[in-house]
Amino acid sequence: MAVKIPGSGHLRGRFTRRMFMVGLGQTALMGVLGARLYQLQVSEASRYRRLAEKNRIGIQMFAPTRGRILDRNGVALAANREIRRLVIIPDLAGNLDEMLDLLSRIVSISPERLDAVLRLAKSQNNRIPIHVKSGLSWEEMARINVMMPQLSGVETQYGFTRLYPHGADFGHLTGYVGAVERFEIDGDPVLHLPGMLVGKAGVERGFEKRLRGRGGNVKVEIDSKGHILRTIDKTEQIAGSDIALSIDSRLQRRAMHRLKREKRASVVAMDVKSGQILVMASNPSFDPQRIASGISLADWNQLLTEPGNPLTNRAIRGQYPPGSTFKMVTALAALEAGVIDEKKKSYCGGSYRFADHTYRCWKSSGHRDVDLHKALRESCDVFFYDAARKTGITALSAMARRLGFGQTFDCGLPDQKPGLIPDQDWKIARFNRGWLDGETVLAGIGQGYVLTTPLQLAVMTARIATGRKIVPMMVKADYTAERDLSEPLGLNENHLRLVRNGMFASVNEAGGTGSNAQLAFSDIMIAGKTGTSQVARSASNGHDRRLKWEERNHALFVSYFPHDAPRYAVAVIVDHGGSGGRSAAPLARDVMTDLVQLDPLKTPSNGPGNLTGDQLGEGEPA
Amino acid sequence: MTNLLGHQSLADRRRPVSERIWSVYWPLIVLITCITVIGIVALWSVAGGSFAPYAERQTIRFLFGMGLLFAVSAMPIRFWLTMAYPAYVLAILALVAVPLVGYEVGGAKRWINVGGFSVQSSELMKVAIVLALARYYQMLPHKLVSHPLWIILPLGLIVAPVVFVMKQPDLGTAILFATVGLTMMFLAGVSWIYWIVMAVGGIVAAPYAWDGLRDYQKERVLIFFDPERDPLGAGYHIMQSKIALGSGGLSGRGLMQGTQSQLNFLPEKHTDFLFAVYAEEAGFVGSISLLGLYLITVLVLMSMGLRCKSQFARLLAAGAAIALAVYTTVNIAMVIGVLPVVGAPLPLFSYGGTAMLTTMFLLGLAMSAYVNRDETFRS
Repeated sequence: MAVKIPGSGHLRGRFTRRMFMVGLGQTALMGVLGARLYQLQVSEASRYRRLAEKNRIGIQMFAPTRGRILDRNGVALAANREIRRLVIIPDLAGNLDEMLDLLSRIVSISPERLDAVLRLAKSQNNRIPIHVKSGLSWEEMARINVMMPQLSGVETQYGFTRLYPHGADFGHLTGYVGAVERFEIDGDPVLHLPGMLVGKAGVERGFEKRLRGRGGNVKVEIDSKGHILRTIDKTEQIAGSDIALSIDSRLQRRAMHRLKREKRASVVAMDVKSGQILVMASNPSFDPQRIASGISLADWNQLLTEPGNPLTNRAIRGQYPPGSTFKMVTALAALEAGVIDEKKKSYCGGSYRFADHTYRCWKSSGHRDVDLHKALRESCDVFFYDAARKTGITALSAMARRLGFGQTFDCGLPDQKPGLIPDQDWKIARFNRGWLDGETVLAGIGQGYVLTTPLQLAVMTARIATGRKIVPMMVKADYTAERDLSEPLGLNENHLRLVRNGMFASVNEAGGTGSNAQLAFSDIMIAGKTGTSQVARSASNGHDRRLKWEERNHALFVSYFPHDAPRYAVAVIVDHGGSGGRSAAPLARDVMTDLVQLDPLKTPSNGPGNLTGDQLGEGEPA
Repeated sequence: MTNLLGHQSLADRRRPVSERIWSVYWPLIVLITCITVIGIVALWSVAGGSFAPYAERQTIRFLFGMGLLFAVSAMPIRFWLTMAYPAYVLAILALVAVPLVGYEVGGAKRWINVGGFSVQSSELMKVAIVLALARYYQMLPHKLVSHPLWIILPLGLIVAPVVFVMKQPDLGTAILFATVGLTMMFLAGVSWIYWIVMAVGGIVAAPYAWDGLRDYQKERVLIFFDPERDPLGAGYHIMQSKIALGSGGLSGRGLMQGTQSQLNFLPEKHTDFLFAVYAEEAGFVGSISLLGLYLITVLVLMSMGLRCKSQFARLLAAGAAIALAVYTTVNIAMVIGVLPVVGAPLPLFSYGGTAMLTTMFLLGLAMSAYVNRDETFRS
């Protein structure tokens, strides 16, 4: 080491000096820790030992009972099952063999279990409670309680498991509970309790705070052997509140049953006045009980990867191009912009040319002369291409947002998807390219970039039916007629009338695309609109039944009824159903028929809310 | 002489693997084995005198970790020099991926907790940040060390992972990254002026930062520093932990006799708060001995660094020493109520697989620096 590399000696010297400083600093820090340890464990030891031993104050926490989830009629969708456990604390039991012998004469305990208890009692600290039997029946519980004076060191403890009595029919709605994870700890001490459950999805998660309640605790004096000497202070736990959803479980069950006839489909039914959701069904679904009672990793992974994503609630997380159900938006935007009116006619020769592109109407032979009424009735694309282009994307997207698209709703359902309402700013932010008028043309019939969820479609329908800014609600008590906070949308009443009449014609007049949705009741008229939206750009028009299932068009239908005094709105999407008129409209009709028969909004006094008078009074089967 | 050194290091690299393994610094191996064995005994006691479930698995992990340590130190040190930046980039990508992946999978997967990705990616960074900074100062001509431009770069290397883990949020790991990174810069020779400016700036800025907090945030900070404000919530752990320590007294209550820990008053007693269990059962004699073992281990690691010729090797050993020191200090300070509860395990001692492997990996790097202490990377 005779020759020094220039600078390296200096460098190493500086490193050594600084390392000494760091080492000294670390030694000092650890010295401080050591001093503090000395203070705690030697100087103040007697104080802490007194705290710990002589009159140690133990704080025992108790978990609150989780609130139940009910439907609008009080049917439990998620409830609790109490589990009773028998434990024994060897230290307090005196002669353990005798005590176990006595116990096994009161309740049946398997010999293996008895062996296991004895083995545990020998191998671990004898103050730790040992679990003897779980799932005690009421009878066994009563017998133990009677014998309690003779049983020393024996305790019965309560716990809860969550019960979902209706299986997959309400899986997406209720969601499920599971063990607390680190990231969920929010400062509430009850979350640290063993066996505590928190909501992981659906309403269980959305209303976690209300369902959970507040934990209670007991401060007790414990002597050195762990015996409780006296209770110093007690705070009772406050059970979580029950939550009554606006959902009608009878309708929900029927809807789920009906949806099973389609591979993948979803439906939302809503009270148009209050926004209360009566049905929210999505197929395929999953059984929350299976997850809440402890699912194996293999089963869980299977659920996650299964085709059709059963864990996904399509009604709020499925994003679909709305197709022709979007034409009401285009119509209202165009009417407000003044580019069309009641009488304004377009000519449909089967296609529309703009900027060197040809946009086809679904009816290749054309609709000839078309006014707004006929355009909605027969779902003429050309009329709306033209109306949309003249209105422009800014006004069109603004109207879409006003009617409830491109947003999520704060109604207690977590993980909603917002869909997509494109505009110039979005296009630049997303693709760094300017908006093209041709894209407005496509947006006018709900294609191109536009994406919506079934929930948003139901909201749009309710807003058109009432002209008010209806927002969806999941909880029954959140709405009363006196607390109706919905504001008017500020749309021209005449424009709304034109659109509603068009929707009425689509179902009830000759040539309408939605005639399959007509109800069998002659006195209840519905208004609706079909939608058939292209999945991907495929060579054919997507109607073809010979196409592979995944390439077929999505089928949509939105409707409200009764037409003259709207009460209910329904939105249906059948994934790859081929055509809105053929597969979504009949599904909507079946759901609406159930709504008429069960009429969940009927008031007990049979006031004006009663839909149909007497001939349908048999509406309470379940 | 340069040639001679180069020659020597070439010869060094040609040393057979078996010889490199035998040339590790055995006192370090003995020290970490002692610490881990004490931890395993504490875990045995926590489980009520049973090897299952904790002690058994911790033993297997330690043996596995020891294998890793030897493997890391047996690799040519140039390999670690080459891998430093790629490892850092990989670790950053993993940190970035966490929020994205976490978001897509939604509430569902987190519940099962299959991957534990957030843990894994910050563990990777614990190794990568040491490697990357050591590599940086190996490359940087010493005259540029205090040049502002060449200070911003390593600062960026430190700040990026700190920001990501703060978002998770994982305060303990953020403190580790920041302390290890800044101390390495200090050791690399960054001028005193910067450290003085930083200290003064911090003191001046603190009151403004405090004023910027909302009321509930202030309350949370206050509870952190004075847990007795909230005895049922955040303060619960600390009170119970202090009672456990204090009731241990000078000589402890004996194995399995700690009433605090055995009766479940202590939370997380096999992980972050294992030291409290141990201190109750082994008393001040036991806890101060363990603290001493940690201090000796840290100083031994530092002295291994002092014997290295290259900046890279020096900083590797120093990085491992500081990481061990920071985690030990933060954990024990938290358990005895000097620092807020931030969620930091006691290295080699607390129950936990990933933390064990990360620690052993870092120690393996320090060992590699020691084995190759004459390497200068100049040939």
